[in-house]
Amino acid sequence: MSLTKITDKAGLHRHLEAAIQLEHATIPPYLNALYSIKPGTNTEAFHILRAVAVEEMLHLTLAANILNAVGGTPDLTVPGFVPLYPAYLPDGETDFQVDCQAFSRAAIETFLKIERPAEGATPGVDTIHKGRKRAHHNGHKRHGTAVRARHVPGHEEEHFYSIGEFYQAIEEGLERLHAEMGDALFSGDPARQITPEYYYSAGGGLMAVTDLASAKAAIRLISEQGEGVTDNIFDYEGEIAHYYRFEQLLLGRYYQKGDARGRPTGREVAVDWDAVFPIKANARIADFPEGSALRQGAEEFNRAYGDFLSLLTRAFQGEPALFVEAVGGMFQLKELYYQIMRQPLGDGTHAAPTYEIPHG
Amino acid sequence: MADMLDGFLALSEALTGFTGHRLRGTGQAEAYLTTATGIVGGGVMRDLLLAAEEARASAGGDAAKHEAELRRLIMSDDRLGPVARNIIRMWYVGSWYQLPKAWREAHGQSPRDQDHVVSPISYTEGLLWPAIGANPAGAKPAGYGMWAMPPRIAPG
Repeated sequence: MSLTKITDKAGLHRHLEAAIQLEHATIPPYLNALYSIKPGTNTEAFHILRAVAVEEMLHLTLAANILNAVGGTPDLTVPGFVPLYPAYLPDGETDFQVDCQAFSRAAIETFLKIERPAEGATPGVDTIHKGRKRAHHNGHKRHGTAVRARHVPGHEEEHFYSIGEFYQAIEEGLERLHAEMGDALFSGDPARQITPEYYYSAGGGLMAVTDLASAKAAIRLISEQGEGVTDNIFDYEGEIAHYYRFEQLLLGRYYQKGDARGRPTGREVAVDWDAVFPIKANARIADFPEGSALRQGAEEFNRAYGDFLSLLTRAFQGEPALFVEAVGGMFQLKELYYQIMRQPLGDGTHAAPTYEIPHG
Repeated sequence: MADMLDGFLALSEALTGFTGHRLRGTGQAEAYLTTATGIVGGGVMRDLLLAAEEARASAGGDAAKHEAELRRLIMSDDRLGPVARNIIRMWYVGSWYQLPKAWREAHGQSPRDQDHVVSPISYTEGLLWPAIGANPAGAKPAGYGMWAMPPRIAPG
């Protein structure tokens, strides 16, 4: 969707819908990389990736809580919600696309771009993104498939350099609208909130959003867990931000408190880049032979993934108890990931889930 | 080995009732082929795969005839039958069991022909779990709170 500066509630809803889409858009690439790691190998990398993927689920849920709090309706089932990879991120970052690919240096480099700190906050990270340009500009031709087109004529399109800046814009919009409308901004039904009782030990504190303070707290948690909008490697809870977690894999060493960016001094991280199923990047159903069991398996995965998003949507639309079951569905998906990724395609690569979600 | 693997998967489909896709999906096909071949020898394995091919060919797509041919050519064969039964067990529970005494005496004894678990994940990847519609005990957790719901196991 095209985003323009938040001036009304509808604009705020659009941003939060994009936020949910954005948080979700990171999950397939993270999970493809995670499950391409051969079971029993790369345990440290596996845990780093898994923890980040789980936190993206938390962020998605927090974004849904904020949208529900301001009277919006989260819907993860609309066609186009799941991008076809390679895809641009839905916050309008135009200088890179995200691939769904095997655990590799290239995958981690993409993940660093996803989680990159806000521009200006961290001059040190430019070593990895040399030559990029600020992507906040007008009229850039979109050729990704990640976003639903929703153009508002006559308004300036927003493009953000980082997820952190995107959330900053949401926070500013919330404050602006709250100054105008007062607590009427938070008109949503509190019964729609996913509260900690439905969320077990998965990536930190889930909070209900009912007012400006809790909305800001949710945004702060999302931003700081991701890349940080400040230049800190560790966030206010002492937890290492996603960007730096991934960087440890490329640099082969853990960060510890007091380290400078790009120069971790903790113990070594052992990474075996070869202990990986060589899954095809950005695979499509059409890559698998017609009528084959593999194709059926990949289609079954897409149906199961669609069911997972439907269940999550129902959970966000007033049946929060279903959240438990939706998350449980991810554990079943894990089995399907492995079943597909263990299938050689005969050209040196292996099959991978395609995320072509059937509709209707 | 690649040809052997295809033949082994075709044999295993017939022996287990699971599709080749599902069998490969366990990630254990190579390990089971290597384990069985290492113990019974390449000659026995080759003969077993040839017999399986013959059964398929003479059945010509007739499932009942295929089963009858498998029984005739493999399961009731003194040399191939016990090996085929062991392969079925490997797929279902992930372990190799020592071949019967009569087989060992007639066809040679491998020092590796001992009861053992094939790989660290072969037990949890065993076909017995999807066959009975349950999660392997102590592995493949289904997530918080899912114990209150019926198991949802992907069928074969």
